[in-house]
Amino acid sequence: MKLLVPVKRVIDYNVKARVKADGSGVDLANVKMSMNPFDEIAVEEAIRLKEKGVAEEVIAVSIGVKQAAETLRTALAMGADRAILVTATDDVQQDIEPLAVAKILAAVAKAEGTELIIAGKQAIDNDMNATGQMLAALLGWAQATFASKLEIDGGKAKVTREVDGGLQTIAVALPAVVTADLRLNEPRYASLPNIMKAKKKPLEEKTAADYGVDVSPRLEVVSVREPEGRKAGIKVGSVDELVGKLKEAGVI
Amino acid sequence: MYLTETQLQVRDMARAFADEVIRPAAEALDRDERFPAEIYDEMAKLGLFGIGVPESMGGPGFDTLTYAVVMEELSRGYASVADQCGLLELISTLLVRHGTDAQRKLLPEILAMRRKVAYCITEPEAGTDVSGIRTTAERDGDGWVLNGGKIWIHNAPVADLGFVLARTDKDAGNRGMSIFVVDLHAAGVERGPKEHKMGQRASQVGALTFTDVRLGADAMLGEPGRGFHMMMSVLDKGRVGIAALAVGIGQAGLEAALDYAGTRKQFGKQIVEFQGVQWLLADMAKDIEAARLLVHSAASRIDNGQDATKACSMAKCFAGDMAVARTADAVQVFGGSGYIRGFEVERLYRDAKITQIYEGTNQIQRMIIARELLKKGAQA
Repeated sequence: MKLLVPVKRVIDYNVKARVKADGSGVDLANVKMSMNPFDEIAVEEAIRLKEKGVAEEVIAVSIGVKQAAETLRTALAMGADRAILVTATDDVQQDIEPLAVAKILAAVAKAEGTELIIAGKQAIDNDMNATGQMLAALLGWAQATFASKLEIDGGKAKVTREVDGGLQTIAVALPAVVTADLRLNEPRYASLPNIMKAKKKPLEEKTAADYGVDVSPRLEVVSVREPEGRKAGIKVGSVDELVGKLKEAGVI
Repeated sequence: MYLTETQLQVRDMARAFADEVIRPAAEALDRDERFPAEIYDEMAKLGLFGIGVPESMGGPGFDTLTYAVVMEELSRGYASVADQCGLLELISTLLVRHGTDAQRKLLPEILAMRRKVAYCITEPEAGTDVSGIRTTAERDGDGWVLNGGKIWIHNAPVADLGFVLARTDKDAGNRGMSIFVVDLHAAGVERGPKEHKMGQRASQVGALTFTDVRLGADAMLGEPGRGFHMMMSVLDKGRVGIAALAVGIGQAGLEAALDYAGTRKQFGKQIVEFQGVQWLLADMAKDIEAARLLVHSAASRIDNGQDATKACSMAKCFAGDMAVARTADAVQVFGGSGYIRGFEVERLYRDAKITQIYEGTNQIQRMIIARELLKKGAQA
C-alpha cells in the first residue's frame, strides 16, 4: 500500500506572529517557517505504518511556494521515501485555499494509486480544518477525522476519534482519508544520518497547472488583527466587594 | 544566513532535542553530578555522536561547521552533554584518520556509547605543556607495558576504553610519544575517585593509574612516535567545539535573562524597561553573536582546508572569556535570584568558567595567536 501525506509549510509555532501594517494578513517575510505540527504527526504515523509492514511507500506532498521543498526535506529526513513539490504560487504571503489544495491532492492520489491519505487535522496558520474533508469528498473516499489512534486491518482502517466529551472508534473501508489529532503519536526527531540520506531521496517538482487546478482565491480576507491585550485587573478591598463585582459581571 | 538548508535542518533538530530533552534535565544532573546515560542513548540513536565520521564508515559525514552548530545547540541545553559530544567527536576523528581497520571496528560501539571512552592526556606535571608527560609504554615482546598516571580525565570513572598518550621514546621529545587504545577494565588499571567540580558537574572526571598494564601488538593508534602530532592534529577541531560550547552557554544565559527581565517588576515597571538592564542584554547579545561568528569562521577555515590555527585559538579564547563575562551579566539581570541554586543562570555561570581553562587555557590561546601574528603577519 502506498501512503500519501500532505505537509504544509507554516509559520513556526515558536514565532510570535505579527500582523502586517495594512491588516491584510500575518507578515511571513523573513520569518522562520516549519512543517505544520499536525502534519508532522501525520508523517510519523505513516512512517510507523511502513515500519510495521502495513505500507510499502510513504510519499510526502507539499503545495505552495517553492521553499516548501525544505518542509519536504524534513519529511524525507523523518523517513518518507519520496516527495512531490507542487508549486502553486511565488508569493510567500499567498495561502493556497483548502479546495485548491484538495483538488491537487486528489489528482496526486489518483496518479500515484494511493489507498490511504494521512493528513494533519488542520494547519496552525489559518485553522481551516477543511482540506482532509474536501479531499475525501472529491475522491469519494471514506473519511476519519481527528484521529488519536489508527490501526489498519484487512482493507479497513480502525480509527479512534477525539470528539467532544470522549472517544469514538469507527471503522472505515479503504481507500480513506484520515486526519491526525495531537495525541495520535509523538513525532520522532530526524537523525543526522537520515538528514544526510534525505538529500539523496527523490523530490519531484510539479506545478498546479500540471494538474489543471485553478488556485486563485475564492475567499477574500477582509481584515486581520492581533488579539486584544489583556486588560488591567482591579483590586477589591473585601470579600463582599468581590462578590458584588462578580455579580455585577454576571459571573455568579 | 550563510548556513545551508541541511545545516539549518540539523540545527533545528539539535535545538528541539536540547529544548525538549536536555535543558529540562540539566538542573537535576548538575545537582546530582549524574552521568545521563539515558540522554546519551537517545543522542546516539539520533546520530549526534561522531558527526564528522564519513558515511563510508557508518557516520553522517558532516563538516566542522555543522559540528559547531550542533555543539552550540546541545550546550544551550547543558554544557556537560555537549562536552560528551565533543569528546566523541575527537576520538572518532582520531580513529577515522589514524585507526587500523581493526581499531575502526570499535567505532559503532563507541558512537552508540556501548563502550564509553576517555581521552587520557593530562598528568600532574603535564597540563597545558603536554611534552611533560611521564606515562611510559615500554616494548614487551609484540606489545607494550604501560605505567604512569593521568588526572582530570573526562569519563574516567565510567569509561571502558582509554585513548592514552604515553612516552615510547624517552629521548625523542615530542616525537617520542604514542597513543594507545587501552581496555580500562584490564589488570593494572586503577580509577581514582570522581572529582567534585565547580561546573559541568554531570561530566564525570577523575584520575587513572596504570601499573604494568599489558597492551597487545594492536594497541597502538597510528604510527609510533606520532602521538603528539596526532593529538595536535585534532586540536583545531577540539577548540572550535569548545568555543561553540561556550557560545551555547552564553546564548542560554541571554535567553534566560531576557525572559526574566520581561517579567520581573521593580519601581512599578518591568526591569527590562530600565536602560541599565537593556545595556546588559545588548552587550550579551552582541558578544555572543561575535563569538558565534568567530566560531563559524574558524570552522569554515578547517572545512576549506585553510590554515585555521589562529582562527581556532581566537574563537576559543574569545568565546570562553565571553561566556564567563556574559553569564555573569545574566546573573546580574536576575539579581539575588541569580545567585541561588536552582536558577539556570547560577549554573550557567559555573559551567562557563572551565571554557577558559580546558582545551588549552585562554593564556596559551593568546600565546598561539601572538606566535601566529609574529610568524605570519597581521593579515587575516
